[in-house]
Amino acid sequence: MNRRRRTEILIEGSRHFAKELTKEIEQKYEIQILSEPRHALTMMKVRETAKRSLFYLGEVLVTETKVQVNGHIGIGIVAGHEEALSYELAVIDAAFEAALEETSYWPVLFEIEEQRIIKQRSQREQAILKTKVDFEMMNE
Amino acid sequence: MAYAAVKGGTKAIEQSLDRLTYERIQSKQVIDIETIKGTMRGLIDQVMSESSLYGEDLAALAIKQAEGNVEEAVFLLRAHRSTLPRVYYTKPIETENMAVERRISASFKDIPGGQLLGASHDYSHRIMNFELLKETQSDMKKWLQSFLQAEEQVEHTTNLQCLPKVVDYLRQERLFPEVEEDNAEPLDVTKQSLQFPATRSERLQILTRGNTGAVTSLGYAAIRGYGEVHPTVGELRVGHLPLTIEHPTNQTQNDEDDYYIGTVKVTEVESFIPVSIKKGQKEELEFEIGYGIVFGQNETKAIAMSILDYSLSSEGKKYPTEDEEFVLLHIDSLESSGFISHLKLPHYVTFQSKLDSVRKIKKEPVSL
Repeated sequence: MNRRRRTEILIEGSRHFAKELTKEIEQKYEIQILSEPRHALTMMKVRETAKRSLFYLGEVLVTETKVQVNGHIGIGIVAGHEEALSYELAVIDAAFEAALEETSYWPVLFEIEEQRIIKQRSQREQAILKTKVDFEMMNE
Repeated sequence: MAYAAVKGGTKAIEQSLDRLTYERIQSKQVIDIETIKGTMRGLIDQVMSESSLYGEDLAALAIKQAEGNVEEAVFLLRAHRSTLPRVYYTKPIETENMAVERRISASFKDIPGGQLLGASHDYSHRIMNFELLKETQSDMKKWLQSFLQAEEQVEHTTNLQCLPKVVDYLRQERLFPEVEEDNAEPLDVTKQSLQFPATRSERLQILTRGNTGAVTSLGYAAIRGYGEVHPTVGELRVGHLPLTIEHPTNQTQNDEDDYYIGTVKVTEVESFIPVSIKKGQKEELEFEIGYGIVFGQNETKAIAMSILDYSLSSEGKKYPTEDEEFVLLHIDSLESSGFISHLKLPHYVTFQSKLDSVRKIKKEPVSL
């Protein structure tokens, strides 16, 4: 499973999911913390839609952690004050980088969590769609 | 009277700061950050927008410390921002990927995907709700339960993750000209001083972090008579934008290797502005687009930004709202409040000098 997809599932999914995967790695491997969770900034680059040019919208506060597992570095970066999640993201990233055996069956778990996110998102959307305007012509 | 340099006031300042703490807590009411985040959505959005720093927890803390004073909260956040390292830049964010929560158009009744009112004060009666004085936790829980149960009963098929943009539809219909993607690296006003003429990227960055009141007032002036803009809101969207960054050391150009880091809530506006273009002997009507985007749900500011974006791109420079220096150098919260506030600092020497001049003139005999 690619990094873009798995990091979205970990961040948008249940906090319990990331915690459980991290626990699996912690129980079997030594985790070396290269950089403790720290707060930093990420500048957002946006494409505006009038001239389709790029500009900087502003910065977002992020929490970043770096760890090493089996000689492979993992990075955890997430928007907001998220020390625990940032650490868990780093451990899981390192696990995938090191191709640890646990990661061979994780994709199934990720897919289940992804389906849960899709269902929740769909429920949220259904609620918003209740505010969709049904225009009626006044002269009809 | 001779001039004398003075110092002192340390003890008075210490006492003043204690007095400030006293004013904040003397009612013995404690407000926690979660309560501010959960109940003051509009205030948090405004503070984050003017601070140019997206972080709800930090904004809530700044609001608490500043006792709800927006100007002070923005000052605190800007100061805090300067202590944090900037470690990453996101990949270009394409706003068509917004997870939409609200989307309206004043230009077209029927837009692809439809108009979604979402959550807005626009449709409320603006009558004081005195029932809120008696609101209880159990009332809220009951209301939420019934609202969430009702939500599950609706069925729709529209995907709000990628609603088509009105402007793209008009470009496809050849009503608006096609525009090529411009991938030039933007300039960053937080890294280098603004030079005139400003680039489009600098202009948009300053407008989006501008003081809400200042941006709104100047946008209003531009359409009221101190400008030549007559816009219609083509599309206004509120929703969350996904953020991704590249791997810091292993940049593969493959989007699948990116890190997803979360979302930010924004309001985005495209205003359609009719302009007359001279083509030979004839004048033809065309449309220009004014662009606005701000952190959080702050629709008035986003619309005003779109008006000023267009005003500042006009070549006329007939009105103050078309003058980059006038607009861009005066709308920043911190710069404007900082300069006005500095007037409270001791100006004893400069003022005494002026006073001496006045005394001298008064003593001189009046010549007839």
